[in-house]
Amino acid sequence: MLAQSALLVGERVRLAALDAEKDAAAIAAWSHNDELLRLLDTDPARMRTAAQTRQDTEELQGKEQPKDSCYLFLIRALAGDRPLGLIDLAIPEWPHRDGWIGIGLGDRADWGQGYGTDAMRVLLRFAFTELTLQRVSLTVFGYNPRAIRSYEKAGFVVEGAQRERLRREGRRWDMVLMGLLREEWERVNTDALTTR
Amino acid sequence: MRSQLGDLNLYRGELVRLAAMDPEQDADAFARWSHDSEYRRLLDSDPARPERAAPIKADMEKRAERGDDNGFGVHTLADDTLIGFVGLWIASWTSAEAFVGIGLGDRAYWGRGYGTDAMRLALRFAFNELNLRRVSLEAFSYNTRAIRSYEKAGFRREGTQREWARRDGRRWDVVSMGILREEWERASV
Repeated sequence: MLAQSALLVGERVRLAALDAEKDAAAIAAWSHNDELLRLLDTDPARMRTAAQTRQDTEELQGKEQPKDSCYLFLIRALAGDRPLGLIDLAIPEWPHRDGWIGIGLGDRADWGQGYGTDAMRVLLRFAFTELTLQRVSLTVFGYNPRAIRSYEKAGFVVEGAQRERLRREGRRWDMVLMGLLREEWERVNTDALTTR
Repeated sequence: MRSQLGDLNLYRGELVRLAAMDPEQDADAFARWSHDSEYRRLLDSDPARPERAAPIKADMEKRAERGDDNGFGVHTLADDTLIGFVGLWIASWTSAEAFVGIGLGDRAYWGRGYGTDAMRLALRFAFNELNLRRVSLEAFSYNTRAIRSYEKAGFRREGTQREWARRDGRRWDVVSMGILREEWERASV
């Protein structure tokens, strides 16, 4: 028997398929949260329309056939099934078995409630048990200590810092490199691997 | 009358010069180099696949049409042979930072200072012409010759992505390196 009967369900959230048509409006609305945009990536904060969002999504995960190089999920709250944000795992080169993670919760009110950490735990289990990856990586900005703490809680280790890579609000900020190896994850997640 | 910018030739180093990529003339050399698996495995993490000249040529043409590409062919000053390439990829204009990639496809020029000279030209172009603030790169831990060359050009180690790459049945780190404008200026006076 497989130990995980509900691979994509956590304690507070589940990872659901993202429907480029149906979910575009919600995702576009999140792009009006400028704080999120500046925590999310290095692109200048810019609002997106639903049509642009739909196109982005299709490009990322493939329009008709899913792409092996990207697993993109909508994070939904278990209570009420409300969409909370996005999480994705990019595997540009399978031979090295490294996955690149991006995560964002759209609404400020949902931050700091444990949704992100739970979504990350579910994604890591998916990455290591289902996709059989060897490691996962992410980068985070020096001004985002809440995210760094959450990633550390999920098991990530700081592997370096690209000094002053970012310039925002007239200051320079480091880009922090983090990574998590399969063995490190297995050591603290034996329950996810044992057969019932 | 001379301009007040000085007579600095941005494209000319001590051993090499930077030139525009020429799809007609250069694609064959790139295709030839891709048949050297050691070169390919030092260059990047893509599976080493030999490539034909035609798609390389098409890709070069596309870049040339875009008009904002900062990729150069590296030619020897001695006899103008094309020996490799160096390119800057602007990761963010607002943060004024770029990644740099370099490869010498012609093995006869490895370990002789040609790569370091080309990298110095790329950095001068990055800081004096593109007015960037920072340049980053990544190298495989098994490529000690390259790491030494980058350090000589002024890069510092900033991190290690542990066991990122898997090759020949072993796991290898990927080393992150970077150079800030101030560091480059201090070393260039």
